[in-house]
Amino acid sequence: MITKLVAGKPGLARPLSIVGGVLLIVGALLPWATFQLNIMPYPALSTLQFFDAPFGVPGFRLHVMLLGVAVIAVAFAPAAIRGRTTKALGWGALAIAVVNAAYLIVEGGGFGTITSAHGAFAFGAVVSAVAAVMAIVAGSAYPAAPPVTWDLKLAKPLEWLVLVLAYAALLKVVADTLTAGGRGGAANPYAGAVFLSFVAFLFGVFGGLNGTGLLRWVSAVAERHRAFSAVVLLACAFVLPFTEAGTEQWIYTATNIGVFAATAIGLNIVVGLAGLLDLGYVAFMGIGAFVAANLSGAASASLGVDLPFVLVLVIAAIVAGVFGAIVGSPTLRVRGDYLAIVTLAFGEIFFKAAQNNIAGATGGSNAIPGIPPLDFLGTPGDAAITVFGAELAGGVLYYLLAVVIVALVMVLFANLKSSRIGRAWIAVREDEDAARAMGVKTGKIKVLAFLVGAAIAGVAGAVLVHRLTTASYESFTFLESVTLLSAVILGGMGSIPGAVVGASLLFVLPEKLREFSDYRLMLFGLALVLIMRFRPQGLIPDKVRRAELAGETAEGGSLKEAEERAVAEQERADDERLGRTGVTEGRS
Amino acid sequence: MSALLEVRGLTVAYGAIEAVRDISFVVETGQIVCLIGANGAGKTTTLRTISGLLRPRAGDILFDGQSIANQPAHAILGAGVAHCPEGRRLFARMTVEENLLLGAYTRTDDGVTTDVQRVYDLFPVLGERRHNKAGLFSGGEQQMLAIGRAMMSRPRLLMLDEPSMGLSPIMTQKIFDTLADLKAQGTTILLVEQNALAALALCDRGYVVDLGRTTLEGPGHELLADHRVRAAYLGEG
Amino acid sequence: MVTLLQQLVNGIVLGGLLAFITLGYTMVYGIIQLINFAHGEVFMVGSYAALATYLWALPSGIQSTWYLALPIVILAGAAFSVLVAVIMERFAYRPLRNAPRLAPLITALGISVFLQEAVRNFFPDGTRPKAFPEVFPEGQLTFLGVTVPASGLLLVVMAIILTGALQLYVNTSKLGRAMRATAQDPDTARLMGINPDRVIVLTFILGAALAGVGGVLYGVHYDNINITIGFQNGIFAFTAAVLGGIGSLRGAVVGAFCIGLIKTLAGQYMPGGTAYDYVWIFVILILVLVFRPQGFFGETERVRA
Repeated sequence: MITKLVAGKPGLARPLSIVGGVLLIVGALLPWATFQLNIMPYPALSTLQFFDAPFGVPGFRLHVMLLGVAVIAVAFAPAAIRGRTTKALGWGALAIAVVNAAYLIVEGGGFGTITSAHGAFAFGAVVSAVAAVMAIVAGSAYPAAPPVTWDLKLAKPLEWLVLVLAYAALLKVVADTLTAGGRGGAANPYAGAVFLSFVAFLFGVFGGLNGTGLLRWVSAVAERHRAFSAVVLLACAFVLPFTEAGTEQWIYTATNIGVFAATAIGLNIVVGLAGLLDLGYVAFMGIGAFVAANLSGAASASLGVDLPFVLVLVIAAIVAGVFGAIVGSPTLRVRGDYLAIVTLAFGEIFFKAAQNNIAGATGGSNAIPGIPPLDFLGTPGDAAITVFGAELAGGVLYYLLAVVIVALVMVLFANLKSSRIGRAWIAVREDEDAARAMGVKTGKIKVLAFLVGAAIAGVAGAVLVHRLTTASYESFTFLESVTLLSAVILGGMGSIPGAVVGASLLFVLPEKLREFSDYRLMLFGLALVLIMRFRPQGLIPDKVRRAELAGETAEGGSLKEAEERAVAEQERADDERLGRTGVTEGRS
Repeated sequence: MSALLEVRGLTVAYGAIEAVRDISFVVETGQIVCLIGANGAGKTTTLRTISGLLRPRAGDILFDGQSIANQPAHAILGAGVAHCPEGRRLFARMTVEENLLLGAYTRTDDGVTTDVQRVYDLFPVLGERRHNKAGLFSGGEQQMLAIGRAMMSRPRLLMLDEPSMGLSPIMTQKIFDTLADLKAQGTTILLVEQNALAALALCDRGYVVDLGRTTLEGPGHELLADHRVRAAYLGEG
Repeated sequence: MVTLLQQLVNGIVLGGLLAFITLGYTMVYGIIQLINFAHGEVFMVGSYAALATYLWALPSGIQSTWYLALPIVILAGAAFSVLVAVIMERFAYRPLRNAPRLAPLITALGISVFLQEAVRNFFPDGTRPKAFPEVFPEGQLTFLGVTVPASGLLLVVMAIILTGALQLYVNTSKLGRAMRATAQDPDTARLMGINPDRVIVLTFILGAALAGVGGVLYGVHYDNINITIGFQNGIFAFTAAVLGGIGSLRGAVVGAFCIGLIKTLAGQYMPGGTAYDYVWIFVILILVLVFRPQGFFGETERVRA
């Protein structure tokens, strides 16, 4: 509404954004809470440690300040990038202000905490929030410009250097994100606030960089040197355990993320590429898990065999893949929404069967405990190891395994996507009848999507079960399927980085927001609704897929228009058909 | 005479493609006005925009002096504009009577039964089979029902899109006779037709629409005599 | 023999219950082609709203007088279900009216999870199953060794009356006609002066009211409610809707009774017993979808499906 007031008055934009930027800096420097810090032990008024840091401008306040500086700087940047960048920075700052203000209000006991109480004044949050809104408004007041693309090509070594720097920055961001705020829980009630405001800062920064076109340029560079960037990315992943995130706890979390990211990419083949909604996907992960549990020498498994892990992975993939093909086979006849129900039904059948210890293979309510740790060339997977003199935390080998699996799945996904099969999937997703008319064997191709997706989930399940050491049906509920689906949707359907980011967020947030664990699923549900409403294309949309869900075509036009265009073409076709009869009758 | 419908500079676009570009025409009260033109000229799009199924990008639509552009379809019907769509679009799984009653959906007066009977009087075949499903009727009978249904809202302006589509010449003639009767009873009609000969012979005023705009206009008989029209639409020259 | 008859009775009662939910699924699907996953939760919140009304709104005098308490809790349950359905239609589904079909489906999923979890978090001690109060006399009929509980009889009778009333309303009333018209051809329905938003809301209201009544009667008959009853029965009911032919009211009722019978009979006679009874329902669902996707009474070829 406010944006309407200034829309079309570009003259206001720059002064407004400068004022907003200055106010952000002022807001960051103002006190944010009315009470003094560290005057008595927890849980009284002493625990707001994240206010306490060098120069009196710690963590999130530094972030607000940086965003403010950036807003001012952008006001003098080339006109084309001003609007989007300022808006993104503003949203980031607003999110930080709101998150911290909300925590202060709740933990500090009321609105007095962020205004005035006990004779103290603390308007930092309020000023920052207002300033952030000003930046957002200013951002929308700048004249609309098409997204900026840089047409810059550097010498090969320079471009490699750019990529190395970019991925190093990414590694730093990942490590910082993992550790930001520490692990949530009663002992650390501000983990959530610190983490969320850090994420908000990242969103502001990345949104801003995206507005400048830098991100697009870097990804174009990465596209030019695909092999090189894959190697650097992999190297970064291997370096993570050496950073501050290399504790056992965060490595454990990172391993989980890796396993679920791999699964999410698998689901992305089914949902994102082939456009088949699968609501029972976690069942395939479960199948892989139980296969692995039975073949890996767990004392309580009824089979009691102990095969080499690689063989176990292959068998898990095959068994899950076969089930995938079976579940997918109704797709030969069944379309769209109905298919969702079939997959949901399959997921429930799997859950029931596992719960009832079908064929003695799942342990039922006893689960299959005591799966021995994996053996990595003589080192058990859960042991701490020393590399180059650095002591790495226990479980790091599992982490590395997860990284390898994610990398392999990514390569598989990327290759499939640009292959004949991938194009056939996309064709089926866009218009099944047209695809069939073009000679795509739609039935086979859809079953294949299920098969590949399921096999990937089977592998992920097999890895997961070794990390957990217990295979229980309780790990594979409908809600897990929903969570995986949320990861894919949140990240952006059909997009690999999207699936990884989505899985990361959905599996890191619960670690950080333990005090909200009761509300976790409720917020999931709400998030799904809100994403579909406001950003159906996800955080990192796939270029093509954006067209379908976002109301935005690949070229950036509105979907509604594209739809109407289709209608127009239809009408013209109709007219043509009718036209002929009309003319003949006219002649008669 | 006063203008019942006035379309001013109407532009309708599907994305980047403008199906209707700056089209303007006037329908006077009591007249039959027809839009003729080649396929894809934008005639159907124009009607769908007037009746509120599509949104104009620019321009205005005045009905009885009031702007109805951007109003929802049901409000436009309520104002007195009925649209008998291309391809008839009957509710095939409902009976003749139900289709007619749906045509009178917005009416709350008690004249509905009388009007249903009037349609049956006009098209006896509908009355005889009033409890049959609409989908079972022949093309011509369906067109009668479609016209009857559109008349049920007692519109001040009746818009018909290709009423002769797919009909035999005899049936086409019958439909056009009906339109003449409706005009005689005081209904204003906006007609879109590919059958330019029949349409121009019937109408008071015609507009030739080409590539989304009107290129020629004039009384029906004049257009019928115009060599350009004859060359383009009547297959002469 | 007695076992068979007893299972038939149980199946019919379950079928009556499912009919309450199935109709909502089938009507909404018929009009906006949306599998409203959240519809099962609408049933569930009806049940909880009735429980809450009984516990915290009724004076003890009314609580103990079943013929006052029962209608009040039924109305309360239905009213709350309608409220929830109207809110979700207005704020979640309506903005997605022109979105690709995956979007509302995923939204429905989100609403379903949200509603379940909201009840679990905000209903006092919501994690645990709740005993449903006695708002209907205990009694039962016994003949030929078969027991028919009074509550079951109530459930089936109510199901027959209300589904019949709904049929009548949809087939003969003006708004019912508008509903059918919108389902067949939304654009032409608009040309008739029908406001599609109103018709769609009406569809949600009717479906939710029935589901709410069903939720209350579920509590009355089965004595216990928990947050998962909506999801489970919702899936059964959806299967019933598919079996009967989605979009068809008659089919929905027939399908509901079929599914009720299949579940109880399979639980009795099929290998695996009650532990696997719902596997059979899904097997039927898959078979129907593969071999007769239009169900018993569906249109052979839906133009817009």
